[in-house]
Amino acid sequence: MSERVRDMHLPFAARLLERHELTEDTALFRIAPEEAALPQLSRFVPGQFVQISVPGAGEVPISPADLPGGDGALELCVRRVGHVTELLHQQLPGAPLGIRGPFGNGFPMEEMSDHPVLLLAGGLGIAPLRSLLMHLLRHRDRFGEITLMYGARQPKLMLFREEMAALAARGEMRLYLTVDFAPETNGIQSCAVGLLPDLLKGFRFDAPATYAAVCGPPPLYRCLIADLEQAGVAPGRIMLSLERRMRCGVGRCCHCAIGQKLCCVDGPVFRAGELKDIPEAL
Amino acid sequence: MEKSFLEATQLSSFLETLRLFGELHGPTVTDAGVTTFAPIAAPSQLRIDYRRTQIPPKKYLLPFREQLLSYREGRYAEPAEAPPAIVLFALHPCDLAGIAYLDLVFLGENTDPGYAARRARLTLVGISCEPDDFCFCSAPNSEANCDAFLTTIKGGYIFSAVTARGEEIAAAAADLFSAADVPQSLAALHPGTGVAPQDPELRFSDNPLWQKFADTCVSCGACSVCCPTCYCFDVREYPALNGGGVRIREWDNCFFASHGEVAGANFRPTRLDRLRYRFLHKYCGFTPLQGITSCVGCGRCKAVCPVGIDLRELFSVAGGEMSP
Ligand SMILES: Cc1cc2nc3c(=O)[nH]c(=O)nc-3n(C[C@H](O)[C@H](O)[C@H](O)COP(=O)(O)OP(=O)(O)OC[C@H]3O[C@@H](n4cnc5c(N)ncnc54)[C@H](O)[C@@H]3O)c2cc1C
Ligand code: SF4
Ligand code: SF4
Ligand code: FES
Repeated sequence: MSERVRDMHLPFAARLLERHELTEDTALFRIAPEEAALPQLSRFVPGQFVQISVPGAGEVPISPADLPGGDGALELCVRRVGHVTELLHQQLPGAPLGIRGPFGNGFPMEEMSDHPVLLLAGGLGIAPLRSLLMHLLRHRDRFGEITLMYGARQPKLMLFREEMAALAARGEMRLYLTVDFAPETNGIQSCAVGLLPDLLKGFRFDAPATYAAVCGPPPLYRCLIADLEQAGVAPGRIMLSLERRMRCGVGRCCHCAIGQKLCCVDGPVFRAGELKDIPEAL
Repeated sequence: MEKSFLEATQLSSFLETLRLFGELHGPTVTDAGVTTFAPIAAPSQLRIDYRRTQIPPKKYLLPFREQLLSYREGRYAEPAEAPPAIVLFALHPCDLAGIAYLDLVFLGENTDPGYAARRARLTLVGISCEPDDFCFCSAPNSEANCDAFLTTIKGGYIFSAVTARGEEIAAAAADLFSAADVPQSLAALHPGTGVAPQDPELRFSDNPLWQKFADTCVSCGACSVCCPTCYCFDVREYPALNGGGVRIREWDNCFFASHGEVAGANFRPTRLDRLRYRFLHKYCGFTPLQGITSCVGCGRCKAVCPVGIDLRELFSVAGGEMSP
């Protein structure tokens, strides 16, 4: 067959390899895309997203929780919230899926190199930030101090808790965890009770040099931006990963509009400074 | 650009010539009295002096509903669609400008295969237009964005070939043209009005007209359905009983509350928000076409609006207020 530009609507075939339950409604899926997809997927930059197809239900945008492994397998941390994610959660290993992407801009890794990076994750926001964190740690010498602040509603909803603790124990990053409330305190330590912004308040860091990467539920952004700016982080260095309903992923359907920008092509990572004058952004 | 004169009496023969280039479609009126682009079997069906069709020619490029792909046993496949060759005859310059805008959107980076296939099979023949009270395009006589163009003058039409395909039409119809004095400046024959480019800030202004419009708009979405440059779409998937299924896309509408929904919230919950949203994208553009006005002044939105909303009211007032 002649060289032909691949239809961007057409997913590559993929298979579900395995799944691990993380919480009641969230699981980690490892999926293997067909070989033809690997060159494209290997270009994935943390912060970009893929469109995952579940035959019979449709597509959803998901930010992989890590860069593709050597075998091209992708880790997706997905919460069951609706039509497509519900059916994804019902799939057994071996099930056929589809994948398109990567799409969107991702974090400006070049620009961030040599700088301290502060990751702020709320709830499921840890999923896209985990791929950023893993990338930073794999290239540890290229970045300044790495700090992860992660808040969940309660201890049992904290994702990747052991993994994060193990990474912090290696001394390559600082880790601060917090929960909104702790119903049982059966042996849970190293975990503050309070909201993410409370953690930030007592934090001493080189704010003017720092890049902050924020991902979480919408209400979190507004107060974190204000706090970060007050601490001295420039609005151009506050990176926010936004979420919109997406259909095409390539800037056509207009479902993901944010003012005059489109989340799927101009984002999903935006700088706080870019969003200042867009009332519907946050 | 070569110009020739086509006598009005030769129009039927000219239409027969156009059929050499594809199925002939043009403005006609249905039994229900709706002006529409449809196949023209006999010249008598053609309404060449029409004002505007209800649904714009975008339906030839973006069908209301279209299959994107099918899937079966874990494989996804594009539809093996071979669109027919169609000659769209007697398009007004505003509709041609509408198609040119859609081309920018769908033939740019990541070309849309379905759109591109249909576009390649389309021959566009434009015609000059007599604006009515709803129109506000800037050039009712523009020969841009088509393969060939007819300018209406007394006793017939001035034919201009614009593209290579237009030249082919000219060659095929050479016998039908006659020698006549062709006016040098055709533009003066059909002057337009136009609306100045708008300031994105207007969308967020507190101009009371916004609220006035929002109070009367019923969110029917008709203005967006009939707009030649509104193109946003929804994607749905339908499983079949045999285990496979299809994924389709169909026109969507930013006037519907569901359009701005995200994870349990809505970024444009009120009618006011949605009016401004549409305004911003029509008059101030969108990534990657920021700054390009996609309103081509066809007047359809005003013509179909059940409550008579006319955004020109806002532009004139706010435009005056906003200018430095
Ligand atoms: C760039 C990007 C990256 C993303 N990355 C991830 C990821 O790594 N992991 C992940 O789990 N999700 C991620 N999402 C969110 C995910 O795309 C949505 O949860 C998913 O599209 C929901 O689809 P659905 O068909 O299952 O739900 P729908 O049927 O569309 O929604 C059903 C109901 O759930 C609500 N709902 C939808 N999404 C959410 C949500 N996120 N939270 C709460 N309520 C919701 C809807 O309002 C609706 O009431 C990402 C989204 C974007 C835009
Ligand atoms: S906004 Fe109204 S006048 Fe402008 S192109 Fe669309 S339908 Fe025509
Ligand atoms: S046609 Fe008129 S009433 Fe209907 S959505 Fe448009 S502005 Fe509102
Ligand atoms: S998802 Fe279609 S335009 Fe962004």
